[in-house]
Formats: sequence, structure tokens, C-alpha cells
Amino acid sequence: MIKHIARKEFTDVVRDGRFRWCAALVGALLLVSLGHGWVQARQAQGELAAAQATAREHWESQGEKNPHSAAHYGIYAFKPRLALSFVDAGVDPYTGTSVWLEAHRQNDFLMRPAQDATAAQRIGALTAAHVLQHLVPLLIILLTFGALAGEREQGTLRQLLATGVGRSDLALGKALGIAGALALLLVPAAVVGAAALVVGSPGPAASPLARAAVLAGVYLVYFAAFVGLSLAVSAQAGSARTALVALLAVWVVNGLVAPRAAVDLSRWIHPTPSAVEFARTLEREMATGVEGIERPDQAATAARLMAQHGVERVEDLPLNDVGVYLQESEEFGNRIFDRNYGALWDTFERQGLVHEALAVAAPLLAVRTLSMGLAGTDVEQHRHFATAAEAYRRDLMRQMNGDLTENSRSGDFSYTAGPDLWAQVPPLRYDAPTLGWVLNNRLLSLLVLGLWLAAAVLAAAAGARRAEVA
Amino acid sequence: MSEVVPIDVPSASTAVASTPVLEARALFKRYGDVEAVAGLDLRVGPSEIYCLLGPNGAGKTTTIHLFLGFLEPTGGSVHVSGLDVAAEPLESKRRLAYIPEQVMLYRNLSGLENLEYFAALGGRGSLAAERLTDILVGAGLPRAAVQRRVSEYSKGMRQKVGIAIAIAKEADALLLDEPTSGLDPQASNEFSELLGRLRDRGVAVLMATHDLFRAKETGTRVGIMRHGRLATEMSTDEIGHADLERVYLEHMHG
Repeated sequence: MIKHIARKEFTDVVRDGRFRWCAALVGALLLVSLGHGWVQARQAQGELAAAQATAREHWESQGEKNPHSAAHYGIYAFKPRLALSFVDAGVDPYTGTSVWLEAHRQNDFLMRPAQDATAAQRIGALTAAHVLQHLVPLLIILLTFGALAGEREQGTLRQLLATGVGRSDLALGKALGIAGALALLLVPAAVVGAAALVVGSPGPAASPLARAAVLAGVYLVYFAAFVGLSLAVSAQAGSARTALVALLAVWVVNGLVAPRAAVDLSRWIHPTPSAVEFARTLEREMATGVEGIERPDQAATAARLMAQHGVERVEDLPLNDVGVYLQESEEFGNRIFDRNYGALWDTFERQGLVHEALAVAAPLLAVRTLSMGLAGTDVEQHRHFATAAEAYRRDLMRQMNGDLTENSRSGDFSYTAGPDLWAQVPPLRYDAPTLGWVLNNRLLSLLVLGLWLAAAVLAAAAGARRAEVA
Repeated sequence: MSEVVPIDVPSASTAVASTPVLEARALFKRYGDVEAVAGLDLRVGPSEIYCLLGPNGAGKTTTIHLFLGFLEPTGGSVHVSGLDVAAEPLESKRRLAYIPEQVMLYRNLSGLENLEYFAALGGRGSLAAERLTDILVGAGLPRAAVQRRVSEYSKGMRQKVGIAIAIAKEADALLLDEPTSGLDPQASNEFSELLGRLRDRGVAVLMATHDLFRAKETGTRVGIMRHGRLATEMSTDEIGHADLERVYLEHMHG
């Protein structure tokens, strides 16, 4: 019986000219956004690889110089674009993808396209994730609002129920029929997306196909929840028009109001300092230190080293006390950075948790978080890379200061190192987080999305059971 | 003149032949202060066409909706082939076929596809397209219209598809709510003949109608409802057209 209902619903929907136009439009936007995203991602990945090679070449060919000068010369680190970033650009356009690693400083990320974009470009940016998160649910609403309310209005519901068909079977059959019609749109897009990954992955990722499969599953659950929710509203609304208005209100709240409100609310609950404020605090603490993190003193370092080595003059030390002092300064700076950036990241994380929890009011919030997570473009994976880049910077500084300490003596400002030392610095090797890491970080969103699906299914079943016949 | 295809009208289940197929026992349905059905006792046996007459608001359609389980009684019970509709809503509906005053169909499907769909939901999914086409043509739909989308159909053509849906279901009982509304006189006559054939095969028919002439011509018994009660009932063999009209008017003004 469910099979017959699903088949009829599918035929009815597919023959509806309004569906064909809407599906063609959404399908075209989906394919174009996938294609455009893939081309852009490939291009960016190519540019990134070239920039990385150039940065390495500059580092290795910087010539003879003092290792501390080399530490100030620095090197750029580039965040790799993961394979699925062409589906969801996430926060990358806002956080940036490259960072300059140099002595004494933990710099902000650069290359933020959103910073350079015009307002129109920011609003008009269309990614496959936007189409999947906003336009497909709108299409589902247009397909489903009349599923039961329309049948009741037209009088077909009485005739249907008079056949002896169960109301739950009716709701399930309709959901499957609508799902079949949506599959005409989504399956080709999924095939194109998978082919793009297989044929020419735009970037590395830990198990990209597994990530893609989970991403597809997340979107399927989201769409299923929307179908269930739309059926529930259609069953209970007094008319098809009322159902449409109610569902469009849900769409607006889900897609436009909730994301903005979630950002504002999470900032209000867990405020972050402004960029200027944050920079001033860092500057102040770097200059004076804070309780428990004392700024090193060059004379005290020299005195300690002389005592340790039993000498009376720094010139008699078997090492360069300046190198030791520079490393101590680095470590002092690192503790200040860890204190401030750590607190900032932790605040972002708490904001993210509020955001995830608010998904109980709008499933888009859960889907968006999961989508960015699986695409490798969320704040957590930005932090993961930033942490790796910072660890690399610290190793680099340690190596430069170590060379200065071991191979020169106090007051010898003429000491230089050369290409051998630069080549000993290994390139930054960054391993993106695994799928398990991503999912483990996103358990709350997975749970909330699952709850949305369960609630939508129950609401649709209850709505169909209680639906007035006439 | 529509093509005449003899329809092999099925027999109703003989298992219930000794008991009424449709039965209302002390049936009540109240909407707020209004008693739409007030203590109705009604029995329709196999091979019987019971015509329910009465003015608008007398409770005819409510009675049919109670048999269909669309409404829950506020008192009493309704039974189809011995099944309590409240206790076994789906199974009792499977024993029924229903033709509303205005048959509504799916505009994007053809007449045949609509019939296939409703037949499948009514448990007759195994009927071949040829057989379903014959049923449609037998119900008066032109053969050329069978494959056309219903959006191109007239009201009368939709009504004929509704009749075909009811026939295809091969139910024990047929509930009709002003079924000839919108049919031309010839189609109405063909419909009456069809009901006669269904009756001959043992189907119990309960038809709500305002058409006294057709009630007398088609029905085996007539009941006149007023204020939710059965004011009187009589066999159509015992009464002429004029007498039926007189009795009806007496009860309306009495």
C-alpha cells in the first residue's frame, strides 16, 4: 500500500510543471555551485602549493645571516584546503588560510577573501552548502505543503481514507514519493560531487569519501526532518495556504533568523574582546608580564649561566647567553600567547557549544556545524591548523636560538648561519583531523539533528492520525 | 451515446448474508448543542438499496461519514458486515465503497491511473489495466478519455471515474452521497441500472439523495430523515411516486 501511495505521489509531483521549474532551477544552482566551488578549490589549492613552494624556496635561499635574523625573516604557513571544502567554504573566507611565522609573535591569519569582498559579493556568495541548507528545504516546503491540507481541500482525502488506507501509511507513502522526486535532483548532484572527489580531489583530507558519505547522510537526515515537519504542518493546517504560510515562516526562522540570533546570543553569553582590545592586552602583557609569568631578564640569565658554568665573564661562557635569553623570551611570549589565545579559543569553543545547543530551535544550526566540520572549514579545524602552525613556529625559533646559543659566543654579532641550517628546518607537515575526531567534536549537533528527525517523524505521524477529513 | 461495456459486477461476501451489511444502532452524533444524528437505528441488508431522503441538515451525510469512520459517534455504534467501525476502522472501510457528491481526483493522473491508484489502495492492486479500462468504460467514461489526464475531464466524467472506483473495489456495501449530482439524465439512468446490477449481486447500498424520483425508481427501501432521526421508512414496492412525494412533504412540514 505504501508503495502505491509513494508511486502515485512521485508521479503526481513529477508531472507538476511548477515542480519541474523549481527543481530545474535548484538543480542548476546546485550543479553550478558544486562546479564553481570545485574549480575555485582546485585553483586555490594550486596557488597554495605554489605559494608554499615559493615560501620554502625563499627560506632556504635567504643567504648567510644570523639565525635570529632568519627567525625574524620567518616563513609562511598555508592551511591546506581539504577535499570537501568545495562543498562548504565554511569560515575560511573569514579566518584566512595563511599565517606568517616569525620570532616573538603569533601573527593573525592572512588571505581572508571576505575581508576584500564587497557587500554584494558577501551576500551573493553561493556555495553548494547554501543551496543544500536553504533552497532544497524551500523546495521541500513547496512540494509538501499541500500533501495533506491540499488533499483535504480538494476532497480527495475523504476518498483516499474511504479505501481503508491507514493514515500513517498515507503519510509515509507521501514522504517516500516526495523523497523520490527530490532524488531526481539530489542523486545527480551527489554523483557529480563524488566524481569530482574521485577524478580530481581539490585537496587532501583524511578519508574524503567517508567524509563525503557522512556529509550526504547529514543532509539526508536534514531533508527528511523537513519533509516530516512539512507533512505535520500540512496535516494540521486548516488550508493549504495556511500550511504554506506557516512553513515559510519556519523556513525564514530556520534559515535567516536563527543563525543571526545564535551568533548574537552566543556572543552575549560568552563575549570576546575586540581585535584592538585583544592586541592591546597582548602588547601590555608582553611588555610587563603577568603574575606567574615573569618577563626574563637578560642580566639575570647571564648571571645564572655564569654561575652554572663557574665563570665570571659572559665572554668565558661555552655558549652564547643571548641565544639562551632569546629562547627564554620566546618561551615567555609563548606562555603569554597560550594564556590569551587559549582563552580566546576557549571562548570561541563555548560560543560554538551555545550555537550547537540552539539547534534545538532550528535544525540548520546543527547541519551547518556538521557540514563545515566534515568539509574541514569550521573554527575547530582552523584552531587545529593554527595550533600546528604555532607549534612549528616554536620549533623553528628553538632551532634558530639553539644554533645561536651553541655556535656563537656572547657579543659575537658577526656570527652567521647558512643554507645548511635553513635546510635542516623541516617543512611544516600538517595532518588534518580524522573523521572520528570531527564527529567526536560534533556529537551535540549529531544528537540534535537526530532529535529533529525523530520529532519530525513523530509529528508527521501524529498529525496524519489527527488530521480532519473535511 | 457512450459505449456500453457489460461490467461483471462482483458478488458481495456471502458470509454476512444473514446479517445486515450496514447497521446503525441507537446512533448519536452531537456538535456542541446540535444533535446531527439523534438515536438512529438503521439496517441495510444484502441486495438492498436503501435511499435516505431528507432536507439539508437532516443528518444524511453525517450518517454516511459515521459509517466511513470519518466521524466518531457520541453515542451508539455503526457496523459494517458485522464489524464495529470504531473498533476496526480500517477493516470496516475495506468492506465499503464510497462515492461522494463531487468525486475529486488527481488532476495530473489519467482516469485509468486514478482508478489504478484507488483500486490498489482498496486492495485490488492486481487488476489488469484492460480490466480497469473496461470498468471505466462500463461506468460511462468514453474509451478515448481513459488515458487522458483528469484535468481535462468534466464534472460528470469525474463522477463516472468515482463510480468505477467503487465498482472496482468489489465491496460488501456501497455508500453514496448524492452520487448523480452533475450527471446528465442518460448517465443518471445508466447509474441506476448499474446499482440494480450491484444489488442483484448482493451488494448493500445506502444512498443519501434529494431525488425522490430516483429513490423510488432505484431503491428497494426509502427512509426519510429529519432532525437526525428516521421519521419513517417504507418499501418502494408499497408506494407510488405521488405518495412518496406526499409523505415526504408531510414529514417536512409536520
